[in-house]
Amino acid sequence: MKKITIQLVFFLCLVAFSVQAQDDSKINGEAIFGDLTARHIGPALMSGRINDMETHPTNPRIIYAGTAGGGVWKSNDTGTTFNPIFDDYCQSIGAVAVDPNNPDKVIWVGTGETWTRNSVSIGDGLYKSEDGGANWKKYGFEKSERIANIIVNPKNSNEVYVAVLGALWGDSEERGIYKTTDAGATWSKILYTDERTGCADLAMDPSNPNILYASMWEFRRTGWSFESGGNKSALYKSTDGGITWNKIHNGFPEGQLGRLAIAVAPSNPNVLYTVIEAEKDERKGLYRSDDAGESWVQLNNDFGLTVRPFYFSRITIDPKDENVIIKGGLTGSISRDGGKTFKPLGNMHSDIHDVVFDINDSDRIYAGTDGGVYRSWNGGTTMEIVENLPLSQFYHISVDNDEPYNVYGGLQDNGSWYGPSRSTGGINARDWNSIGGGDGFRVLRHPTKNIIYSESQGAGNVWRYDVDNELIKTIQPLPMKGHAKLRFNWNAPMAISKHQPDRFYMGSQFLHKSEDMGNTWEIISPDLTTNNPEKQQQEASGGLSMDNSGAENHTTIFTIVESPFDENIIWVGTDDGNIQITKDGGENWTNTSLDIPGLPKHTWVYHIEASVHDKATAYAVFDGHTMNDMTPYVYRTTDFGKTWTSITTSEITGFARNIQEDYVNPNLLFLGTEFGLYITLDGGKSWSKFTNNVPSVAIHFIDLQKRTNDLVLGTHGRGVIIIDDISPLREISPEVISKKVHFFESKPTVMVDQSGFSGNFGAETQFVGRNPSRVAQIKYLLKKRHTFGKMTMEIQDMDGNKVSTLSPGKSKGINIVNWNYRIKQPKIAKGKTTTGAVSPRAPAGTYKVVLTKGKETYEHSIELVYDANAGLTDGDRADKQDVTMKLYDMTQELAYIVYQIDAILENTGTDNKLGKKMLALKETLVITTGDNYVGSAEPQLRELMTQVFAKIAYSYDSPSPNEMDNLSIIEERFSKAKKDFEKLKSKAKTKSMELQSFEDFLND
Amino acid sequence: MDIGISLKEIVTITYLDIHITYQSINYHFMKTLKLLSSLFILCFVLTTTAQSAEDIVDTYIENIGGAEAWNKVESVKITGVGKQGGQDYPFVATFMKDGRSNITIELPGTSMVYQAFDGETAWGMNFQTQKAEALDSETSLNMKNEAKDNVEVFLNYKDKGYAVEFLEKTTWEGTEVFKVKLTKTPMVVDGKEEENTEIYYFDTENNVPIASEAIVKSGPAKGATAQSIMTDYQEVDGLYLAHTIIEKFNGQTGLEMIYKTVEFNTEVDESIFKMPKE
Repeated sequence: MKKITIQLVFFLCLVAFSVQAQDDSKINGEAIFGDLTARHIGPALMSGRINDMETHPTNPRIIYAGTAGGGVWKSNDTGTTFNPIFDDYCQSIGAVAVDPNNPDKVIWVGTGETWTRNSVSIGDGLYKSEDGGANWKKYGFEKSERIANIIVNPKNSNEVYVAVLGALWGDSEERGIYKTTDAGATWSKILYTDERTGCADLAMDPSNPNILYASMWEFRRTGWSFESGGNKSALYKSTDGGITWNKIHNGFPEGQLGRLAIAVAPSNPNVLYTVIEAEKDERKGLYRSDDAGESWVQLNNDFGLTVRPFYFSRITIDPKDENVIIKGGLTGSISRDGGKTFKPLGNMHSDIHDVVFDINDSDRIYAGTDGGVYRSWNGGTTMEIVENLPLSQFYHISVDNDEPYNVYGGLQDNGSWYGPSRSTGGINARDWNSIGGGDGFRVLRHPTKNIIYSESQGAGNVWRYDVDNELIKTIQPLPMKGHAKLRFNWNAPMAISKHQPDRFYMGSQFLHKSEDMGNTWEIISPDLTTNNPEKQQQEASGGLSMDNSGAENHTTIFTIVESPFDENIIWVGTDDGNIQITKDGGENWTNTSLDIPGLPKHTWVYHIEASVHDKATAYAVFDGHTMNDMTPYVYRTTDFGKTWTSITTSEITGFARNIQEDYVNPNLLFLGTEFGLYITLDGGKSWSKFTNNVPSVAIHFIDLQKRTNDLVLGTHGRGVIIIDDISPLREISPEVISKKVHFFESKPTVMVDQSGFSGNFGAETQFVGRNPSRVAQIKYLLKKRHTFGKMTMEIQDMDGNKVSTLSPGKSKGINIVNWNYRIKQPKIAKGKTTTGAVSPRAPAGTYKVVLTKGKETYEHSIELVYDANAGLTDGDRADKQDVTMKLYDMTQELAYIVYQIDAILENTGTDNKLGKKMLALKETLVITTGDNYVGSAEPQLRELMTQVFAKIAYSYDSPSPNEMDNLSIIEERFSKAKKDFEKLKSKAKTKSMELQSFEDFLND
Repeated sequence: MDIGISLKEIVTITYLDIHITYQSINYHFMKTLKLLSSLFILCFVLTTTAQSAEDIVDTYIENIGGAEAWNKVESVKITGVGKQGGQDYPFVATFMKDGRSNITIELPGTSMVYQAFDGETAWGMNFQTQKAEALDSETSLNMKNEAKDNVEVFLNYKDKGYAVEFLEKTTWEGTEVFKVKLTKTPMVVDGKEEENTEIYYFDTENNVPIASEAIVKSGPAKGATAQSIMTDYQEVDGLYLAHTIIEKFNGQTGLEMIYKTVEFNTEVDESIFKMPKE
């Protein structure tokens, strides 16, 4: 009966599937990606920006870090290590809050970073988990862009307040304070000022949940300016759960206000602190109220208290002492006298955004910085970094062609680095090399020399680093006679040439070209930007606090690419919307972006990708988010920019920054957006989000390594993420996906002989990046997931003899099965202890892959080749193979003898002459006493045989004379043992025993 | 200078590798033990709060042989191979309805009880000394809670306090699935009780779980995500169960378990569960 039920289920589902399949003519990438999975390689040694720290109210082991671009991380071990718990959702985090009434289960996350620097990402709403972070549900606020605080009433979980800072780049009515009384089902806006003013900070009186303090902040950023402060900024208090609000400015500075922080002392709710951004410098800084906001007294306007309010505006009060307070800042400051004086926190990465105290022990402090999370065990005097938070925020990445290839890139406030895509034991912190300070941006490796170009903000420094000789020179273009002052973007573009290895380009408002690696420069263009003077007033930027860091430099060139077909064709994109092209090496320029359909004017040209398939084809990615436009804009031209056609669809969420064209299949494109990676298999007709271990993270740059076909993602919050070998995607076509099973072509696999040592003591709590697989991989596409019935995979030689059995993947889409190119491990004689297994490699050659799925069989072939780097001749390889297989056979023979001895002993016992002799013989064949550690017995034949077997089989080299000599001793001893055994066996009554044949024994 | 490795070092490295693998198996077997239990668990889960989750689980039970047949299972004996790091580790696992269990694995040239449970005490053999040692009392306590699920726990699911909840219809590796949360008896971790939940992904086509996910609750990997992929459902004596289970850790394949034989209500040596005396 049940079978009928199952069959019926199958049938009905099949019908449903067929109908669905007929209706759907698009190539759905999500159903294809299958085992194509990304790996994260960090780095974590410099980590990345943290926005908000949160503790658990009763369990001091649990700490949360809400990060600027890398999601939410949870520590279960007092901040020793962290795990990501929010990968599927927007990775830019504003606030994390634990429900004090149900702290093990209910966590709220508000997305959208609130320290509003130029490079901040955006949020997409409010989320809640009711199971400690395993699963999440969205609770609206899609247009909130940034959420500053979430506070749950400590007496009522249904009552939650959400402070929405709101949009940074434009007007928005989704700002202010919202309240729910039904656990998030419905929300009401309980404090709203206007479309420019959001809630920057919210605090609740811990003794009375009806008393709330809210700071409202008037602010606005554009691509070229920042403005903090205005008449609408204010500090409010409510004593009735948010129904009514009153300004509490008694003692405040006169005039306009900027960003204000607010904190209530847990140990004494009458004590409040606020940090005020005001018009006059002398009136800025820390203010204290001892009467719950009735009046305020200014205490301190030191640099640490007033520095960059938009970036540092967090006050943390010791939960046990209202006179101990910490203020976030360039270094972070701590006061132990109620705010009168401060000293810096201990050495750590600069830019401290949030600090929390341990709930029980105020000596334990956790700080969130631009360089990750730091712990202190002594009240902030010394700080140590958390080593497993790979939150690095890349602006750009590139790869070289070394083996293994290296990844280069620059990071927000963390300099520039390069590291290998593979390293012994995984990619460790120590594998990364620093190649530039400050904020790092573009990093490029010279095409033929071991020279690296890197830069810091606004091309303040452009370094040329001769790696082999450890020589550093700065080569940034300097102002030249007869030309205007140079305007470089904060993230200044540089480019190299495929045609002239020493050629190096940089872009200010002009295109600069050097033919000698930056020693001499010429300007080969006019001003290619709009040169709009209104967008060049950076010295007036900042609002109440001047902020002319260079980050707002505008009307600059942002992207440069020289055509792979013709060195005289150069594409240049500017941050104010121009795509300029020259076809004569800079003599003449054409602006191609004056009238692109569907594209708002002056939208930032973030990336131009010159096609490798066609000279006239290029892709342009425009980013409008600094004009408050979150639409993805991706265009293709096939006529040198005369016309541009959009290739985006509604499937893409979030604005885009980068596109990478495949080198082989022109229809295969990879798009980096603010919320992850999208792939099209049909030239942009449809896009699918790639999620296999790629979080919904902002992807700023993508590169495709030509030799390995690895897609390398430079993320702004989760470091470097690599999808190894995307070549199967090239074969995807409607025809291929209609096949039940499709094997993908693969290059011959080199059986790697190289190895190394990976001692990593002391790195137990560090992040280690995953290495790529180097074994043979069998890749195939399944039309449908295999769930019921047997599905097996065998590797056979070309005569059909079984070499190895593998466990095949059964997912719908691409499956990747690893074969470590070793043959089945031999049967080993049973003893008291283990010897370790020796599985020799298969010899080079072609092998059959036989996939059996139910009654159907599918075949494919793969090729193994030897590693040329080992320097072995064909003769050496043959010798090694012969000797290895000889030992393999000897090992199995010995195993069979011991099996027979055990069987005979079981039958005859040891209390007789034959038994005693058999036992004595066995004791010379295998270890029968001792243990696997220091109590190990004297090695016997099995152990000696295994030792030389392992030594030869696992060496890259052919057997040495010494090894062969040793082998002959073992062979002699084995030969004698076999004779002794046969003699004894002839005396045993084996016919009455059920002894397996040698063949059965091997196959058992 | 020629950099070489001495014979002793090679042997040490080999042992070290085995040791590492062994430790990994430890984790995966723990998980698989739970997984196996969960197959039974899901037979009888009912819930008053989520009708659709109840339907999914009911249909699943029906698909794999029905509650009545599963209720008759007194013992399960599984032989198979664990594959990890290119090595095969044959195993024999025995689970009793009364909660006892024994997992014996073959290492090259020998075998050892990896983990056993006699109903009160969990134990295993120390790799170095090859002698039986009791696991820590917290592990025993948690195993006792889990062991009651070995075969028939969901006949009395209400008494056990288990619950299922339908979360959403979504996709798992490209296949459409029902996502169902299972809440089990809390675990004790470092002296504190913690909620014990697992997520199951039921293939909407066949209505059997094709994957499960759980947050690792103890040990150095606490907080990381472990996944189990279940395939090759096959019939044994009218009952269906997955014959291949792939354990993934943070998305990376760790152990693959392939069942060769599954026997229900077979003869079992009663002595294998009790920790032997030295």
